[in-house]
Amino acid sequence: MKFSTQEFLSLSGMGHDTLTAWIEEEWLIPGGSVAEMSFSEIDVARARLIRDLQMDLGVNDEGVGVILNLLDQLYGIRSTLTELREVVRTTR
Amino acid sequence: MKDPYEILGVARTASAEDLQKAYRKLAKKLHPDLNPGNAEAEEKFKEIAGAYDLVGDAEKRKKFDNGEIDAAGAERPRQKYYRDFASSEQDHPYANNSGFTDFMDSEDGFAELLRRSARAQANRRGHDLEYRLPIEFVEAIAGANKRLTLPDGSTLDVAIPAGITEGQVLRLRGKGAPGSGKGGFGDALIEVEIRPDRSFTRQGDDIYLELPVTLTEAVLGARIKVLTPTGAVTMAVPKGSNTGTMLRLKGKGAPNHAGGHGDQFVKLKVMLPKEPDPELEAFISGWESGKTYNPREAVAT
Repeated sequence: MKFSTQEFLSLSGMGHDTLTAWIEEEWLIPGGSVAEMSFSEIDVARARLIRDLQMDLGVNDEGVGVILNLLDQLYGIRSTLTELREVVRTTR
Repeated sequence: MKDPYEILGVARTASAEDLQKAYRKLAKKLHPDLNPGNAEAEEKFKEIAGAYDLVGDAEKRKKFDNGEIDAAGAERPRQKYYRDFASSEQDHPYANNSGFTDFMDSEDGFAELLRRSARAQANRRGHDLEYRLPIEFVEAIAGANKRLTLPDGSTLDVAIPAGITEGQVLRLRGKGAPGSGKGGFGDALIEVEIRPDRSFTRQGDDIYLELPVTLTEAVLGARIKVLTPTGAVTMAVPKGSNTGTMLRLKGKGAPNHAGGHGDQFVKLKVMLPKEPDPELEAFISGWESGKTYNPREAVAT
């Protein structure tokens, strides 16, 4: 499912300035062109995570960047681990 | 639901700051996105988040303490977490392999496994790419070969099938984004936008055209040339035709799903000569029945 900028903002309950700032920080990487950005469900979930980190967990902006980078590495390892499990299973 | 204070592990008398501190401590441990491998984390997090939604809000806490509301239904509704997408097989822009690329460089069996998995990952089909293609009305009816210039400067040849309608999407297999390895290309999805025409309009499979004819052609009848989207044809204008007379060109409309064609309807519009014509004026002045005929008879005045 794809969302326009307007739909994304209302889904994630954030303002345009915040979105611009998050994109500049590369916390969010929307698809589409600069003039017409397109968002998918992973962007919505990621925005919610960032908001949870800031509001619920009291993480500051520097912390958010560090956490996102580490999380993405963790998820990268997890998806490779998942595929590795398949390889091990099928080669046995 | 259990007692929210119990869930958060604080006394009923705890201050708002203590409540927040207790919640944050638990949330840091239990937030599902920070615990991708922990299936229980989501359930527990929902519980503590629901508890905090209730007693972390001064107003709601007061009502809860007074017994005006209870903890039922305070659990946060189920939502999609980042982890539900980030670990999926699907490619996404946040994927990051820098946590283990060094492992793949060595020569042991484990590195070989990793490389094999990376190859499997490398054989993904490319994404579908979406484009819009404006075409002329006539091209939509008759079909056409169009060339689409892509943002990267390359081109794509698109065969427009005859009879295509506004908003229809054409799928060009293998013309999307490149996959990796043997994954192959995605598809190009081309949405067709039909530009309005100055003379033709379309209703379903039928085409409408307003055609000016001369007074002579209308009065005496004539064979005249008419444009259709598939080329010019000759049409017989019957003697005594009028403005508004509708003539049908059978089978000259848009192709339809049944394998046939709609029709083209031609609405005549009788035109007097551009310049006043003395000969015509002389004739009309002497034309007796022209003076008695009242075309407005049926029109209420």
